[in-house]
Amino acid sequence: MGAEIRTLSRAIAGPVGAVAIVLAGGFAFVLIISSDPVLAYRDLLFANFYSRSNFALFVNRMTPLLLIGLGVVFSFRAGVFNVGGEGQLYLGAMAAAATALAFPSAPFPLAAIIAIIAGIAAGALWGWIPGVLKVRLDVNEVVSTLMLNFIALLTTEYLATKPLRDQTAYGAVSFVIPQGAWIPEIPGLPGATSGAVIAIVVAPLAWLALFRTEWGANLRAAGSNMRFAATVGVDAGRQIVVAMLISGGLSGLAGAFYVLGIGHRFEQNFSPGFGLVGLTVALLARLHPIGVLATAAFYALILNGAAYMQIDTDVPRSLVGLLTGFLVLLMTARLRGNPAPA
Amino acid sequence: MQVSQFLASVLGQTTPILLAALAAMITTRANILNVAVEGMMLVAAFVAIAVGQASANVALAFFCALIAAIFMSLLFGFVAIVLQADFIVAGLGLNILAAGGTLFTLEEFYQDPGGLRPDAFPDIWHVPSGALTWLPFLGPAFERQSFIVLIALAAAPLCAFVLYWTPFGYSLRSVGEDEHAASAAGVNVKRMKLIAVLASGLLAGLAGAQLAMDRLHFFLPDMTSGRGFIGLAATLFGGGLPWATTGAAFLFGFFGALGDRLQLFQAPSQFVLMAPYLAATLGLIVARWRAAARNRPAPVKEKSA
Repeated sequence: MGAEIRTLSRAIAGPVGAVAIVLAGGFAFVLIISSDPVLAYRDLLFANFYSRSNFALFVNRMTPLLLIGLGVVFSFRAGVFNVGGEGQLYLGAMAAAATALAFPSAPFPLAAIIAIIAGIAAGALWGWIPGVLKVRLDVNEVVSTLMLNFIALLTTEYLATKPLRDQTAYGAVSFVIPQGAWIPEIPGLPGATSGAVIAIVVAPLAWLALFRTEWGANLRAAGSNMRFAATVGVDAGRQIVVAMLISGGLSGLAGAFYVLGIGHRFEQNFSPGFGLVGLTVALLARLHPIGVLATAAFYALILNGAAYMQIDTDVPRSLVGLLTGFLVLLMTARLRGNPAPA
Repeated sequence: MQVSQFLASVLGQTTPILLAALAAMITTRANILNVAVEGMMLVAAFVAIAVGQASANVALAFFCALIAAIFMSLLFGFVAIVLQADFIVAGLGLNILAAGGTLFTLEEFYQDPGGLRPDAFPDIWHVPSGALTWLPFLGPAFERQSFIVLIALAAAPLCAFVLYWTPFGYSLRSVGEDEHAASAAGVNVKRMKLIAVLASGLLAGLAGAQLAMDRLHFFLPDMTSGRGFIGLAATLFGGGLPWATTGAAFLFGFFGALGDRLQLFQAPSQFVLMAPYLAATLGLIVARWRAAARNRPAPVKEKSA
């Protein structure tokens, strides 16, 4: 028991330390540029708890980050650098919106369920392509997923500006989806989507699947050493493709939840870079599903907090992007020179 | 005339991709997959416009852009090589830092997150129009191209020369082939990698300067729009070989220019913009397919007829 606590504290110390250092550095920076640094940082860290509606926005922000982060955990654990979360998210959102619009008179749970399945399927497809390309042809997945991001974003933009465009609304947005496909709010928390509850449940399930089943052990074996996996009889290629299906599917689910539970329509530019932040969240959690719960919540906190900070003080919200850059840049650095555990 | 116009468009589209591809190629040959080219380009483009606006001095803006990109590459090299961070994660981090940093600067110091558009911006040197009329087809295509286009075209053979004809190039490639063997043979692996990363910073800086300074004379937060990644795709397409990489960059530039042409026929702009990414993806698939076909073991007949 004592040993377990020690391993746990050692695992947590790194990410917490990194966050603390970056936040402290950020504060020093804000001290220089801002006339009201204390208010800026108080907004950044605590504005989400000022009111119930602020907290609802926090919940909505956390949901896609959590799902994408968990998806990244699956792919990275299988040894695939899936940087395609953004594209998978957009396709999932678009598929969910288009499906919901295609069945305008479907009753409530059915319409939502069909739309969610469509979203997962679209995201999974966008994960499957680079997965198969990597396994069959050894196409580098970093480049293929990055390219597929652009293709997905431009495809959805075309759909949102031409066939599905709501002419009465401003910008590239689709028609509002029928009420039957709306995911209900969390009772007592108006505006917060109950998709968040499902996302939170997915985290322990992901942990169980990855760390307490033979299937998960095989997947991680494929990720840590393909030759070893092949020797002990694990079909590494298959594990990689399945991991990419799950990874893409979770990002697609994130998109579906956004459309069905938050936006109620597809909006181009609905994502402030959820894909990259989801990746950051997963890496910061050291690719641990339970850890992603904490890091996704943290990132939702400061992303939303930055918006309040920008309103109340003279510090722009893009401070978070700046700090994230340093965080990711230094995240895998070995400051003490000893080899870090993989 | 039509042909020359199209060639000019191909050249314009290819130049940033080619420079990014060469930047990625140099580090790939030293065993670093460089996703950070995108961020280096973005910073160079921003610095070029910001310095050009402040000083109205085109040479100063150009050199500051290069220095900024080299500084970013130095940061990347320090984290990835000295601190031994995972270079893909560090590269993505550098990209986030570049995007976040430029956006933050825009908001904090220019009060405009939309971009930086100076009223007046000094022009860089272009091939004067009418100077090359004696050369059929190719001449008019080169007219009014910036000097960075010429540098890019010279950089490709220069990279090939350095990689294959100099002792330095041999050492660099040995690091890419087998770090331990190279180290045992007395090559300073870390130094080679660092030099490769710095060279990639210089090339990425040229690419960013070309993007911002050639015609547009403004900076947008998403200005590079994945050209660094397309360059990386070109490098992988070309297998890290200078001539094949250059060819791949021209191929992707060709599709970019083709997309621009399609716009005249009222194709939706999204599909036009998609052309280079689609070309890069398909190109990568084809290249790997051919490599896989070459390396496939001879088929074994399971059952005799």
